[in-house]
Amino acid sequence: MSEVLKQPVVGTPEFKLKSSLGSYLPSALAVGGALVLTYARFRAGGENFISDGALMMLALAAYLIAAVFYLLNLYAPSSLYERIGLGSATLGVFFNLASWCVRWIAYRDHDVAIWIKEGKPVSEWPWIFRNIPFANLYDLSLAFAFGAGITTLLIAHRKNFRFLAAFSLPLAALILLLARFIGNDILMLQPVLDSYWRPIHVGIAAISYGIALVCFAVAVVYLLKDGVKPESMAIWASIFAILVIGTVSKGTVLGLGTVFWGFDIGAVGSYGSAVFLPPRFPLPLRAEIPYVGWLLVASALLLVGVVVLYSLYVFKNDERARRLGHHVLKGALVAQVLAVFLLVWQVKAIEQVAVCAPGERPASTACVDRRGYARFGSWMRQQQQQSPEQVAALDPQLLEKEAAALVNQRQGEMFLSLNANPVELSALITAVAGTLFVIIFGFRTEKLREALPSREKIDSLMYKTAGVTFAGLALLLMTGAVWANESWGRYWGWDSKETGAFVAWLTYGAFLHVRISRGWTGRAAAYFAIVAFLLVIFTYLGVSYLLPGLHSYA
Amino acid sequence: MSAIEESKSEAALRQPIAAPAVKSASPSYVTSVLNLLSSVRLGVALLVLLAAACMLGMLIVQQNVQPDFERYYAALTPAQKIIYGKLGFFDIYHVWYFNALLLLLSLNIVLASIDRFPSAWTYVSRKKLDASARWLRGQEKSASFVSTGESREEVAGRVAAAFLAEKLKPTVTEKGGKTFVFGERGAWNRLGAYSVHVALLTIFFGGFMTSQFGRNGNMPLEPGSASGEIQEQIIDVDQFSVRTHQLPFQVECTDIQQELMRKDGAITSDNTLNWRTWIKIKDPDPDYGEREGLVSLNNPYDYRGYRFFQASFIADGKARHIRLQVTPAAGGQPQEVNIPRGGSAQLADGTRIDFKDFQSNFSLGRNRPQGDEEGSVYNNPAAVLAVTPPGGQPAKAFAFTPEMAERAPFAKQPVAGYTFRLVDFEKAPKAHILAVQRDPGATVVYVGFTLLAITLCAVFFFSHERVWALVEERGAGKYEVVVGGNTNRNQLAFGDRFRRVVALVTGQPLEVKES
Repeated sequence: MSEVLKQPVVGTPEFKLKSSLGSYLPSALAVGGALVLTYARFRAGGENFISDGALMMLALAAYLIAAVFYLLNLYAPSSLYERIGLGSATLGVFFNLASWCVRWIAYRDHDVAIWIKEGKPVSEWPWIFRNIPFANLYDLSLAFAFGAGITTLLIAHRKNFRFLAAFSLPLAALILLLARFIGNDILMLQPVLDSYWRPIHVGIAAISYGIALVCFAVAVVYLLKDGVKPESMAIWASIFAILVIGTVSKGTVLGLGTVFWGFDIGAVGSYGSAVFLPPRFPLPLRAEIPYVGWLLVASALLLVGVVVLYSLYVFKNDERARRLGHHVLKGALVAQVLAVFLLVWQVKAIEQVAVCAPGERPASTACVDRRGYARFGSWMRQQQQQSPEQVAALDPQLLEKEAAALVNQRQGEMFLSLNANPVELSALITAVAGTLFVIIFGFRTEKLREALPSREKIDSLMYKTAGVTFAGLALLLMTGAVWANESWGRYWGWDSKETGAFVAWLTYGAFLHVRISRGWTGRAAAYFAIVAFLLVIFTYLGVSYLLPGLHSYA
Repeated sequence: MSAIEESKSEAALRQPIAAPAVKSASPSYVTSVLNLLSSVRLGVALLVLLAAACMLGMLIVQQNVQPDFERYYAALTPAQKIIYGKLGFFDIYHVWYFNALLLLLSLNIVLASIDRFPSAWTYVSRKKLDASARWLRGQEKSASFVSTGESREEVAGRVAAAFLAEKLKPTVTEKGGKTFVFGERGAWNRLGAYSVHVALLTIFFGGFMTSQFGRNGNMPLEPGSASGEIQEQIIDVDQFSVRTHQLPFQVECTDIQQELMRKDGAITSDNTLNWRTWIKIKDPDPDYGEREGLVSLNNPYDYRGYRFFQASFIADGKARHIRLQVTPAAGGQPQEVNIPRGGSAQLADGTRIDFKDFQSNFSLGRNRPQGDEEGSVYNNPAAVLAVTPPGGQPAKAFAFTPEMAERAPFAKQPVAGYTFRLVDFEKAPKAHILAVQRDPGATVVYVGFTLLAITLCAVFFFSHERVWALVEERGAGKYEVVVGGNTNRNQLAFGDRFRRVVALVTGQPLEVKES
């Protein structure tokens, strides 16, 4: 009754539906170009060649330009905008990868200089993978942003998904900005990291994090297309921004520090940046950056206004609250931009750090925050190998006195740097970006929704990226486990970075299963994808900066 | 939209009689508990709970994270100490409810798989070969067109050939005056999710074996020393104790070396390229006997199910070998001798020099604190020697570097007729601490890892794509063809393939409807 036919097609049509290889040209160009540039750097040497830091800034600029043109293209479709967008995105990925590769050679040069000085014969030089730029968060951020960039370019082989760059590339640019604030110092490699598992494990991390970032962007787009009001998104973005403002500078700005760390209430409205000692040694001590704190307080108040007004609109359908909310949101954006601008500008412009008399501040000076003396004093004692109990038993006034003595003595050497609080600064800028994007979403929302592909297509892409992220994170966990077993003698130890990656993986797992349980599809899945990416970021930054553990180097 | 949901709905379509029969009686408790345990929703809830517990474990410093835990614990209020302690938050990953969560999750995976496997299996065992035009038009992708041809079979043959050209394995059937062409690829993909879960359960089981039968401990080894036991540190909140495990063999250390990045730097881990410990294992079991091994960084040594790793080291500024310049006090040419740690050298006149000890920071009488810095930096290196003239008694001597000897008058005093200068030495720590592990579960976990890596790729990079075509005669030489299809994942690629199939049959791109 049935038969399998294996005869040639009668009258095979000779047209092709699309040229599939040509659509991958941008990705190929970006990667190929980066390799050529790397070879050129290898031949030319370091002195007369562009540095990895400069290439990184070029990548950042290219990503931002690409995002702007893709956004323009969504509102006012034009093939010119799209071509500029695709071109800059390609350039961005090219610069991004080139920066990472050039850094590899820079690391190598740094070590080779030492070995030559030591008289180590070339045959005994450690292998090239010892110098792969996966040594700290700066390196990993370069690779992370590249992962996001190349994924965006690969997805762009489908014309109707090119728009995605408008959402994913600004995020990639934020990651690069974070890298800029972390700083590209070359560090000594911990010996245990010199293993062939490092390129495998960290490489998988960078690529899967990059895909996760794209998945997050797709989930946000899905929610937008699915009819989630930009006002609801603005509420969430504002809550995020308020939390950021509340926790930066040890919680002094909004007085959260008063609640949790017992600072005096006078700290409210002040923002401090960490102080450095030469050569580049950060101290757990802050100096007040003028005006920034009060601008942040103003931003937070405006954002609270946004939350209240938009909640009235979302839950009570109050149209007037919505219109007012729009203005307040714009005001909040202006205040945040001003605060960040003043912060960055002053950290660069202020020439000296000094202990000021109460109520006085000499020009171009940042005053040391005396409220941090007790903490600084106890840190100093612990630097002298004293145990926490011993330090806790000491008189706090003694600690403050010791701290004050050291600060008075060395205030002339102290300086400020943009590298002081990379996560804080990036979080503040991310909050600005969030506010900016919800304003953009609120602008002719219906037109934007129409310009997006169908819900099913977005959903399908979200599922695909989440699936690949899930597989990637599983590989990340497994290679990490195997490496840990080879180096430390255990494949799983609930180290905080391990656990963080595991939690993110579980959440992507939950995403996949939410989709197969009836009634939870669509939006619920998108929320899981968003939470999962936030957990990836928490693993990436939070674990390194907030929690102790074996991975605290990266 | 998804593998499992769809397979259920299709199975339900095919057996419409089975469902209402059960419905009449209210389900027993056992049934409803089983239903709950095998539901995907419970699975999602368990994943969320597990994630929440892990987050707690990240935010509250765990007792095995030293020395951070000590600092963290000291800063807690008494109430926090009691509450967190009672709830097991300081060791949350080993507390009973965490294990119960894992167990429940495993049970959920097993039951949900048993529940859903049969309907997934029907994709492989009982393929749906025909479909009504209405059903086809309701599929994710569908198209219809009128084709001219000699016969229904000829048109169906063209369709089947197009399916085959797009790598969809075609099957042609006839029923009630209609011809059906069914094409599919990757039916095995429906079973992929189950193999992923088998892999996960394998990993869980391996983890269980590790927790039950695994052994872990440290073994400090100084050159020349031997040990037959490992020490495991047991932490219970702020109480420390050490548990000793006997090994069935003895480990003797023959040599240790620390390869430094900068030879003039300190012996700290920052300045280290590699640690090497040469060991000799003496096994009372005659089948094994004696053998030698090398443990270096990222390069463990395996023996009888035990693995030896480099874990840490005790610096204490020693030397692996020294080079001495020996000058006769009575005048004559100085000569140079090399002596390894613990070794000796003989001069031409029969004087024997034993390399007894090494001090990185030699000092006279003063009681210097021996912190970490002190032991790893070589400020005043000195070799301690025993010099024995032929037929005489051994005498203690120091060899200093030439610069230091200039400043210390007593260094110029000859011992047994010679003065000694330390020309060169290879820095080495006092002892290496090896971590020793025995883990029968690791192999099981690795098997699970391999399986998981393969199955995850198989699941997410492939899909089960199905296309049906219905060919019906509509007047002389005219045939209506309705094509419809679906996939369990990767809709976008499937859409492309579907368009190509339709274009191959009709000879031109055709509008494809999407549900």
